[in-house]
Amino acid sequence: MTIKQWSKSPKGYVAMVITAYLLIASIAEHDMAGMIHGIVAVGAAVAVDILCGLMRQRKRMLPDGAFITGLLIALVLSTATSWPVVAATSAIAIVSKHLLVYRKKPIFNPAAFGLLLSILIFGSGQSWWGAFGDLATWMIAFLLIGGYVITDRVNKFPQVFSFFGTFFVLLFLIGRFHLGDASDALRPPFINAALFFGFFMLTDLPTTPAKMKDQIVFGILVAFVGAAVYDLFGGLMYLFIGLLLANLYHVLKSRLSAKVTNRPVSNMQPVSKRG
Amino acid sequence: MAQMNKKWVVLCSTAITAVYAAGYFTTETEAAMPPLPHHTQVSIPTNDISKNNNPSNVKSTYTNKHHISPKSLYKDGTYTGMGNNRRGSIEVSVTIKNDKITDVEVSHFAMHYSESDIAGLPSEVVQNQSEQVRNVSGATYSTRAFQDAVQNALSSAQNV
Repeated sequence: MTIKQWSKSPKGYVAMVITAYLLIASIAEHDMAGMIHGIVAVGAAVAVDILCGLMRQRKRMLPDGAFITGLLIALVLSTATSWPVVAATSAIAIVSKHLLVYRKKPIFNPAAFGLLLSILIFGSGQSWWGAFGDLATWMIAFLLIGGYVITDRVNKFPQVFSFFGTFFVLLFLIGRFHLGDASDALRPPFINAALFFGFFMLTDLPTTPAKMKDQIVFGILVAFVGAAVYDLFGGLMYLFIGLLLANLYHVLKSRLSAKVTNRPVSNMQPVSKRG
Repeated sequence: MAQMNKKWVVLCSTAITAVYAAGYFTTETEAAMPPLPHHTQVSIPTNDISKNNNPSNVKSTYTNKHHISPKSLYKDGTYTGMGNNRRGSIEVSVTIKNDKITDVEVSHFAMHYSESDIAGLPSEVVQNQSEQVRNVSGATYSTRAFQDAVQNALSSAQNV
């Protein structure tokens, strides 16, 4: 695959857009720590991915997926996070991609898995600085432009719309009926996090369904779990928990339908015709 | 799967924007309302009237009148202060006695991070006798909110 071909692929699009975000956010914040984190996270992710590829004797060794995972992690983790934690988070994400698989595809979104475990294991702070969470509100326009381009390229509008639609309806209901404090989730930096998550993590092709109906159900499930966790516990894990549970649901559903499809024909026959 | 029709994309985007706007304006009062009061003075155990009936206290007052000492920086008592940023808010109670910070407690923690991140900061304030604490790696926002809260409490305790 040539560079030109790769740049037009879904992974190429995502890689270019989030690299642009890394540069824009670093320049706007006048902080080069994010760039260093980007290099550390991508370096660790690519190294672990190549190592896992060699161990599994994989034919395709292009670590573009690991590059994206590393960048996503760097853009979410706070720039005050120590670099060993950044590297470890990337490594966990890539290991999960190779170990937790179903039909040669990762079960969980690697970046979300790594970031969730990073909070639980290292207590890492996540600022979503790469989603312009600490910058001017108008910079959300960058997220929307990049997000629509990516979503269109990977054909995930049903999933993204069902997620955002359900998530905002639930937050509206929480706010309207005073069931909790939904105000933070609808404002920066949390709205930046939700947009970045919806456009760049939820659209991951290997860990999400392809059919329109399945995409809609998937998006609704992520939003329901995410909003419930946010309302009950607050914190910053709500989006990751929603996505990882929906990933699990997607695999279980695939397994169930595969079992039904693979059922021997003899079992489907009337009792009278069985041996 | 076929590409989604552009008309549907526009329609869905508009609907989602409308729902978002409804949620935003519904929660506007919650967002504008400070979750905790600023500059609340809990107690000021200064010269109690009952104590002034005691001759020894009167003597003490007399002595103080004639003792040339610099004016104290803070009033004795327990003061609360609040620090907040985009990631939540922290309220602290700072106890001051004889111009010294004797105790600091996090009385309300409403950050979107773990409270354990800043568990060591109250004792650090007592040790340093200042709101200046080390920046906890990975908990910059909580550290900043905590410092602001202590600063807030100290400014309300200032003897003006």
